[in-house]
Amino acid sequence: MNDLLVVGEGLTGLFAAWLAAKRGAHTTLIAYGRGGLELSSGCLHLASGASPHAEIASARLPHPYALVGTDTVFRALEALTQLLEASGLPYSGRLDANLLLPTAAGATIAPAFAPHSLARSDLANHGPMTMAGLTGFRDFDAALASRRLATRLQRSIATVDLPLPGPAPRRDLYATDLARRFEDPDWCRETCRAWKPLLIGVRKLGLPAVLGLRHHARVLQAIEEALELTAFEIPTLPPCVPGLRLEMVLREACLDAGVDLIEGAKAIGRVDGTGLFARASGVVAMTAGGPQLHNAGAVLLATGDVLHGGLVAQQNGLIRESVFDLPVVHNADRATWTSPRAADPQPYASFGVRVDASMRPLDEGGQPLLPNLYAAGGLLAGARRTEEGSRQGVALSTALRAVEAAIP
Amino acid sequence: MPALSTQLLVIGGGATGLGVAWDACLRGIKVVLVEQSDLGQGTSGRYHGLLHSGGRYVLSDPQSATDCARENEILRRLAPTTIEDTGGLFVAAPADPADFPDRWVAACQQTGVAAEEVTLAAVLRREPLLNPGLVRAFQVRDASLDSFDLLHLLCTSIRAQGGQVWLRHKVNRLLMQDGAVVGAEVVNLSSGESTHVGALLVVNAAGPWARTVASLAGVDLPIALGRGAMVAMASRLVNTVVNRCKPPSDGDILVPVGTVSILGTTDEHVDSPDDLTIAAWEIDLLLAEAEVLLPGIASHRALRAWSGIRPLYRPAPAAGTETRELPRAHTILDHGVTHGVPGLVSVIGGKLTTFRLMAEQVLQVVAPHLGVSAPCRTADTALEPVGHRYHRLPHRLDQLEHPLGFAAPQVICECELVTRPDLEAALGAIESPDLDDLRRDLRLGMGPCQAAFCGYRAAGITLRTLDAPPPDGGLAAFLQERWRGLRPLAWGHTLRQMEFSRRVAAELLGLTDPPEAP
Repeated sequence: MNDLLVVGEGLTGLFAAWLAAKRGAHTTLIAYGRGGLELSSGCLHLASGASPHAEIASARLPHPYALVGTDTVFRALEALTQLLEASGLPYSGRLDANLLLPTAAGATIAPAFAPHSLARSDLANHGPMTMAGLTGFRDFDAALASRRLATRLQRSIATVDLPLPGPAPRRDLYATDLARRFEDPDWCRETCRAWKPLLIGVRKLGLPAVLGLRHHARVLQAIEEALELTAFEIPTLPPCVPGLRLEMVLREACLDAGVDLIEGAKAIGRVDGTGLFARASGVVAMTAGGPQLHNAGAVLLATGDVLHGGLVAQQNGLIRESVFDLPVVHNADRATWTSPRAADPQPYASFGVRVDASMRPLDEGGQPLLPNLYAAGGLLAGARRTEEGSRQGVALSTALRAVEAAIP
Repeated sequence: MPALSTQLLVIGGGATGLGVAWDACLRGIKVVLVEQSDLGQGTSGRYHGLLHSGGRYVLSDPQSATDCARENEILRRLAPTTIEDTGGLFVAAPADPADFPDRWVAACQQTGVAAEEVTLAAVLRREPLLNPGLVRAFQVRDASLDSFDLLHLLCTSIRAQGGQVWLRHKVNRLLMQDGAVVGAEVVNLSSGESTHVGALLVVNAAGPWARTVASLAGVDLPIALGRGAMVAMASRLVNTVVNRCKPPSDGDILVPVGTVSILGTTDEHVDSPDDLTIAAWEIDLLLAEAEVLLPGIASHRALRAWSGIRPLYRPAPAAGTETRELPRAHTILDHGVTHGVPGLVSVIGGKLTTFRLMAEQVLQVVAPHLGVSAPCRTADTALEPVGHRYHRLPHRLDQLEHPLGFAAPQVICECELVTRPDLEAALGAIESPDLDDLRRDLRLGMGPCQAAFCGYRAAGITLRTLDAPPPDGGLAAFLQERWRGLRPLAWGHTLRQMEFSRRVAAELLGLTDPPEAP
């Protein structure tokens, strides 16, 4: 019998399962797909604006921040950054100001925390930089990364195309392919030798984020020593390596902490009893070998939003929650789900499940549906994550609050 | 202001205008064609991809049916590379009027439209996803036709004959002399520069914008605009064009085009040629009607929706707004005769399938004014095949699997297999292109990911290739254009795809960051 059954393997689910296992709970994590980390930059966005701290403190209901409180956000951040530090993937950042990092399209993102290799590109630090593309790599373009940014910063940014040694690959390479190549010390050394004459006088070099996966710190150090410069990374199109590094650390931390991981299985919620005695008894996991019954003292849904399958939007104007068919806050008129402009806030992006301060999903009357069912992360209603820059902050803080409520 | 003179000035770069210019070239007439946007940006590029057998019109518009049947055969000879011979079916569902198929097949015989009844068992063997409860089926000569390919062939052929085609050139005003049209002031929308084009005759083939063009000569052209919505399903659910065998109505056709299947269409009266909105009910209706032909179609992924505007000549005051009931046949007006404004001829309405015939008839009006007596040659002159346009996925796969050099070319758009050399060649061939032009030329970004990946890659190439590209290589504008066609289908898999694309653009690429300096 599990103490806690977590459904979903994104940032929310992995973080929650690790926290629960650390608290001594027998924890199982069931996931159907990969979660969203390989689509993410690996940065931790808490709130946009001058001070994330102030923005979080001023959040109003029904925003998840108002339910969990500032303290929970900070404690979640501290727990994660300590784990990352201890796992050789140190992050830097602050709670009272955001970083300003260049993107592959010459724009910026403003997370509170970022892996060292990204945080070093903070545009608050002036000084010349060079952006490098890698010959034949499609998913990062140095010209695109520098042109618009140079206009905005009103300073010139040099670009260089760096060759990749060895025979031409037989197919186009993804960021993950390159990251694995860089982990080969010989190949990395040879690459640096080929680059060195092209980088004379360069002090700070921006590269696509492909500098190693598991052994990123070692690769980064080797490159900086060989080229005698400071290197920083810029996230590429997915698969996005910094997000994968974060996933890898969390996944391994879960396994180390004793979490049972069941992947490739769709979960269907089970409820025992009726009325006042109704409880979530666990899930049926639809595995390749057939359905498996999993019992649990508590269930935490970390299945994400419409992108990740936690919510399923239907042609008839209904939006369904995919595991327990929980009520979902949404507009009934399908035509109002999206905005005409892609860059504008999208109404559908704040649809989701409404929860109480313990992260228990609520019925239409505002009462917890089941005493031992919890939800966290992208599945929750009430946050405009893209515009607020609150995606990871909401994921981590609601995961922490749900685990604390479920495993007292 | 620069000036030049020509015999014939054609306004509009759709099938009608290009057809007229092509016919004129073959008769030895000096011709300039101006198009305000890109080839096929109006009605010709916004249709369901059908080369009509004529079957759709045998009862409602027999002349059109006969014209379609004849032109269908001619086009198969002239532009075989643009046509996929899918064949067509007219199928009757249980709830459709029971007496219709017999009346329809009799009308086919009278109008010369080939139609042959086939057994349902044979139909279901050929198209296993179709509704097994269909009651009757007839085989016709429908096919699918890539209009972008056809328009490019026409444009290339016109230029090869010495004719001029100017894209992104808009008519500012018509030049008038003693009450007659003698040319036009044309502005280059990229450079802002204007040119006086003197012409012995001006043909207004501006489609939905024909009324605006005619008004520049003080002519009020009564045109009704009917907007039709279409949905592309992300997979090829049938290999044959499937029509409902019933009186024409909304959602009565399913056309396989390349890797997708297109559901068409609705018909809504609109006031503006630029009103391309799509209502949720139109999508629901198209999917519900398609469900009758292909049960379970709503569970397949819908890829994209778009709408096109049919311009129809409506001389009498509005009797109602049912534009579907107006004849689909075209109308040619010599304004010297109809409005006392010599020098201007308007051609309104018609169908892509009959564009050649329309052009021939326009030239019958135009040629005497120019003192030209050469006969029409378009029916037996094949269009120049265009060398490096690989719209068919098999061609593109072949190109990748058997590369000319040592290494396979880089694939920029994985859904449609568009390579870096394809993009670079297209960028070199177009004057001041943007990513949406590349889409029309190469199908860039038209597949399931709707530019989430290839948009960024192509923007980078654009930035490196062009002299004065936008700082983001046109990426934000391209993604917005893709978003527009996904919005009517924003649920299920399509909404997931939209959110993915939005997330990449906003949270990885930061494209929504505030524009002011940090």
